[in-house]
Amino acid sequence: MARYLIARLGQALIVIVLVTVIAFLILHLLPGGAARATLGKEATLEQLAAFNHEMGYDRPLIQQYGMYVQRLLQGDLGYSYQLNQSVLEAIEQRLPKTMVLSLLSTLLAVVLAIPLGVLQAIRRNRWPDYAITALSLLAYATPIFFLGLMMIILFSQVWPILPPEAPQGFTVAELFADPAGLVLPTATLAIVTIAIYARYVRSSMIDNLNENYVRTARSKGLSERRVVLRHTLRNGLFPVITLLGMYLPALFSGALVVESLFNFPGMGQLFWQAALKRDFPILLGVTVIISIATVVGALVADLLYAAVDPRVRLRGSAT
Amino acid sequence: MSESIGLTARHSASVNAAAGQPLLELRELDTDIALRRGTVHALDGISLDVAPGQTLGVVGESGSGKTMTALSIMGLLPSGGRVTGGQILFEGRDLRSLPTDEVRRIRGVRMGMVFQDPLTSLNPTIRIGAQVAEPLRVHKRVGRAEARDRAIEILRRVGMPRPERIVDNYPHELSGGMRQRVAIAMALVCSPSLLIADEPTTALDVTTQRQILELIDDLREEFGMAVILVTHDLGVIAGRADRVAVMYAGRVVETAATEQLFQAPRHRYTEALMRALPESAIRDSGGHDRLISIPGLPPDLSGPLTGCRFAARCSYVSDECRTTDPSLTPGAHQHACLNPVPTPAVAATGPVPAQVQPAAEPTQVEPAAKPARVEPAAEPVTAAAPELTESPVLSVRNLVKNYPVHGRGLLRRAAGQVSAVADVSFEVRPGETFGLVGESGCGKSTVGRLSVGLERPSAGQIVLDGTDLTDLTGRERRRMHRQVQLMFQDSYAAMNPRMRVDAILAEPLEIQKVGDSSARQERIATLLDQVGLSRRALERYPHEFSGGQLQRIGLARSLALHPRLIVGDEPVSALDVSIQAQVLNLMRDLQRELGLAYIFISHDLSVVDYMADRIGVMYLGKLVEIGPAREVVRAARHPYTQALVDAVPSITPNRAATRDGTTIRGELPSALDPPTGCRFRTRCPRAADICTTEPPLVGGLHQVACHLPLRPEPAGTPTPVEAVG
Amino acid sequence: MSTLSEAVGSVEPNDTPPRGLWRQGLTVFCENRLALVGLGLFVLLAGVCFLGPLVYQTDQVHTDLTAVYLAPGEQGHLLGTDGVGYDQLGRLMLGGQTSIIVGLAAGVLATIVGTLLGAIAGFFGGWVDAAVMRVVDAMMSIPSLFLFMLLAAIVTPSAPMLILIIGAFAWLGPARLVRGEALTLRSREYVQAMRGMGGTGGRAVRRHIIPNAIGTVIVNATFQVADAILYVAYLSFLGLGIPPPAANWGGMLSDGLADTYSGHWWLLYPPGIAIILIVLAFNFIGDGLRDAFEVRLRRR
Repeated sequence: MARYLIARLGQALIVIVLVTVIAFLILHLLPGGAARATLGKEATLEQLAAFNHEMGYDRPLIQQYGMYVQRLLQGDLGYSYQLNQSVLEAIEQRLPKTMVLSLLSTLLAVVLAIPLGVLQAIRRNRWPDYAITALSLLAYATPIFFLGLMMIILFSQVWPILPPEAPQGFTVAELFADPAGLVLPTATLAIVTIAIYARYVRSSMIDNLNENYVRTARSKGLSERRVVLRHTLRNGLFPVITLLGMYLPALFSGALVVESLFNFPGMGQLFWQAALKRDFPILLGVTVIISIATVVGALVADLLYAAVDPRVRLRGSAT
Repeated sequence: MSESIGLTARHSASVNAAAGQPLLELRELDTDIALRRGTVHALDGISLDVAPGQTLGVVGESGSGKTMTALSIMGLLPSGGRVTGGQILFEGRDLRSLPTDEVRRIRGVRMGMVFQDPLTSLNPTIRIGAQVAEPLRVHKRVGRAEARDRAIEILRRVGMPRPERIVDNYPHELSGGMRQRVAIAMALVCSPSLLIADEPTTALDVTTQRQILELIDDLREEFGMAVILVTHDLGVIAGRADRVAVMYAGRVVETAATEQLFQAPRHRYTEALMRALPESAIRDSGGHDRLISIPGLPPDLSGPLTGCRFAARCSYVSDECRTTDPSLTPGAHQHACLNPVPTPAVAATGPVPAQVQPAAEPTQVEPAAKPARVEPAAEPVTAAAPELTESPVLSVRNLVKNYPVHGRGLLRRAAGQVSAVADVSFEVRPGETFGLVGESGCGKSTVGRLSVGLERPSAGQIVLDGTDLTDLTGRERRRMHRQVQLMFQDSYAAMNPRMRVDAILAEPLEIQKVGDSSARQERIATLLDQVGLSRRALERYPHEFSGGQLQRIGLARSLALHPRLIVGDEPVSALDVSIQAQVLNLMRDLQRELGLAYIFISHDLSVVDYMADRIGVMYLGKLVEIGPAREVVRAARHPYTQALVDAVPSITPNRAATRDGTTIRGELPSALDPPTGCRFRTRCPRAADICTTEPPLVGGLHQVACHLPLRPEPAGTPTPVEAVG
Repeated sequence: MSTLSEAVGSVEPNDTPPRGLWRQGLTVFCENRLALVGLGLFVLLAGVCFLGPLVYQTDQVHTDLTAVYLAPGEQGHLLGTDGVGYDQLGRLMLGGQTSIIVGLAAGVLATIVGTLLGAIAGFFGGWVDAAVMRVVDAMMSIPSLFLFMLLAAIVTPSAPMLILIIGAFAWLGPARLVRGEALTLRSREYVQAMRGMGGTGGRAVRRHIIPNAIGTVIVNATFQVADAILYVAYLSFLGLGIPPPAANWGGMLSDGLADTYSGHWWLLYPPGIAIILIVLAFNFIGDGLRDAFEVRLRRR
């Protein structure tokens, strides 16, 4: 277990380093480079040169990368002249809110997807299975903003019970001050997630229900309920934990669209507005931070999985 | 109707109030299984019964319905499966008419079942103790602490070492044999009156198999329960069951008291099945006769069937057989055969009629051009060992293969090494069959893979026709492959599923750039003839063939390059007895015709005994004994060999009866850290202080690596020309 | 499973004439009704988009401010007109062409790049594998929409540019898949058997690995196409799609969002439904192909 832990941590570290390399390279792929990106299109050549020298952008690439990492470690993600704010500060404001949105919708998705997937597995190839599969496919094929718009039309126009816009404000507390406003963004982001999770739970449960140990459990005269709940469900759900980690990039991509649609003041919206204004310091900073969040999330999911599943937990010590 | 014959004192304890009345009775049971391509009538009118304290053996080949019978009783049929007719009377009540909850309770408390594969039959994420005690908790509402105590108690009873620790373990921390003990404990925890064991030892090594079978026997006596032992292995049944039911194609074709059945089988299928066993050929003639094989394949159970289901494969078939559906004769010894084996013992040596070529099977693989197939008095094939002076085809010297075990760390540093093959030397002479036996993990397959050059040895030499393979590179190495070919256990896995048979057979020729395309076509046609397949096979894909046919195609491919040596890695282990006989005969025919040498690798001592001229016995990477086949099997010198020989289930009564002999204890040590000195000493009943030093392989023709051999080498055997090892 | 096959027993190769694997696969595909529906949908949508303009000719170049927001049916515009007077049906056909072409091209590009890299990693193993897979891990942990937007913000998006951007980053999934496939196939017994005959690595790849992996790749490609179409839609919604006067369904849909409250439903629902249908179509086709590639190898 200890060995696994170290190996997995090392892997995550390598991935984070590579992410910074990619971000760094993209910054240098920009026409005009980082200076143009930071100072904008109106900057004069002299200004650019001065900036480049000041930031060390005229030194060799490797050295620059070293400096970039050094600054990163100090929490210096650059400065957005357009927002007139340091990138870190902007992200610090927005990140918690995106996390709230992501966590809430993941929670909702897990709570709904598990019973749906289990129902599909035990009613396999009968109408509940077909119905849920059809709805899942539909949810998957619908662009998420179109889906969100349908929700808005349905729940704040046709049947006006919910506000069409997310709560505004600087702090997380202000978000929760208007819980009704959280419902539509959370639900929109959750729907696609539910479809994907349910499909996964279904196939994982079906795999497990076909295992020999289920037959053994039945031979003990257990009720079908006990066979599913006590024997199959645990084993079927263990892999879902790793799915939570693997699904994070897609979840954040979804959050980007949902935040833009509902005007939700999170990282996604920050990124979107920065993209429209070509505010590169923000774009790169957000990309790096969101990627690190993904890596850390996947790491936590993997470790959690290793901790709860005895097959993985004991592998290191057994041999 | 069940009158147990020939069993008396052994389970007097079990005679209870219900004596004389069967505990379980099946009446005309029908089971269907719905599949995509139609409905398979898996069971058709099965009637069986078993009395308290009795062991009923149910034996049959794959597809006979033996497992379906067990699953029907337990109500555990796979999806699509359904009992469509008949009765399952348990203690006089029909399980089919009882309410579901009641049946479930009966199943949990009064019946227990042990399944084939102990590796997958336990829930991997629940502790052993909780799994074993679950029936108690559910059906008897026993408290947590008491359940744990009861679990420990029953685990101790099934011979589990340190049960108070094992209860807190997970299944994957135990070996296969130990897991099977857990499964038995679980089935017995509510003290059931019926235990159904479905191939309980098929996935286990032969020495472990023996331990488990004896355990089931002892528990039956102790608990006075009835046992239904389902197996494909006649030998397993012969030693354990009171009565036997033989199944074929969804029917019971014969049922009788065990001794009677094995001494005087009546149904022609039972007779043929017993004669197809390699041990029968050895016993009856004392030499290496051809096996009596059963041609063809069992019928497809999804279509309508008329007449005797065995008619198409039966040598004694008459017109009546094809039209009349025979039913079981009344009495204690029942059979459903219109031309039964005449009573009594003449049957065993009776004349065998000419083979009848079944017309129903167009792609029938047995070529009509080989009438020699059914001459029981055929000339002894290779009775005399080949001349010692003839230079060997293959000479393996001090072969070592270690596999590094990687840590899971960042740098994957080697965390140790598995010693798969440790200093193994042997020779194979032209036209000879060298048998390599041992249990799983002993390194026999690795030796095979090294011999054909699929892997490179860590040390030692593999000399083929005078050249050392380990020196060769590139083109020379490629040419070497012409000389040695490998034959796989699972030919289906060894053939690209997207290639047609013609492409599969042409591949070795293309690789070695032999001939032009028309020459290759000709060669392929010859190969098909040699293995007895029709030309129509060429345009088909591997998945369209049965196991025996695939093995023939595999053999044909191995032969394509005119090799001198074929290494067969468990080539018949996946096949049913009747099909196995076909393939073994074919291998011997080709050996005689083409002067091939074989290395025949198998875990099955009786098959190796039949096929091999000389046998090498491996244990944990070491060759512990090597010598002429008959001597190694009948006068073993190494205690491990003797234990293997004793553990092989046999249908011969006097051999089956022995329950003493050498038993080995404990578990196979890890090859990651093998015992020092003699690797077998940790489990050897004769181990002494001297065994901490490594014994060399010494002797003349019959060598043994043991400080304290069971018997000296028979006097007068010459020392080999070339000292090995 | 083992009990099932035991019940079935051995079956002789039946008397039906031998059929090629492709034909068997086709039969299985056709047995899957959803797959046929998917194929039908795709043919229908593609037919309307590419052949429709020949029948239903509209001006998609010049704006017509005298005919804005016409309701369906008015002045011969079957689906009405949009805010600058383009005929909505004609625009759907034009936009569909872009969506389908970009989706197909990006999906195919991603599949080709991913297959090559995955095959190299899986076949060579060792440090090549480790290097490629760590890069894949790193890029996969960057949420793809963030990456696409970043690139779209750098370059001005046009249809070929979108194909390049999406293709250049969507290859990660196929790469992982093909690598796994190559790793398993490499250790298959038939590859070992071939090596036992003296065959080379090149032959293993040519004759055994590629023919057996190709099914997985093709199936995955259909899902890639579906995803690419959705990505184009997202980029358009986020304002970084192909700028007008070019059209695509995603862009039309996000333009339609602005008209949600004004009652111009014909600007919103038709492109939305078109996207859903084409994505569904590719998913259905993919499922059917998966069956076709798997089932034909099923034993018995």
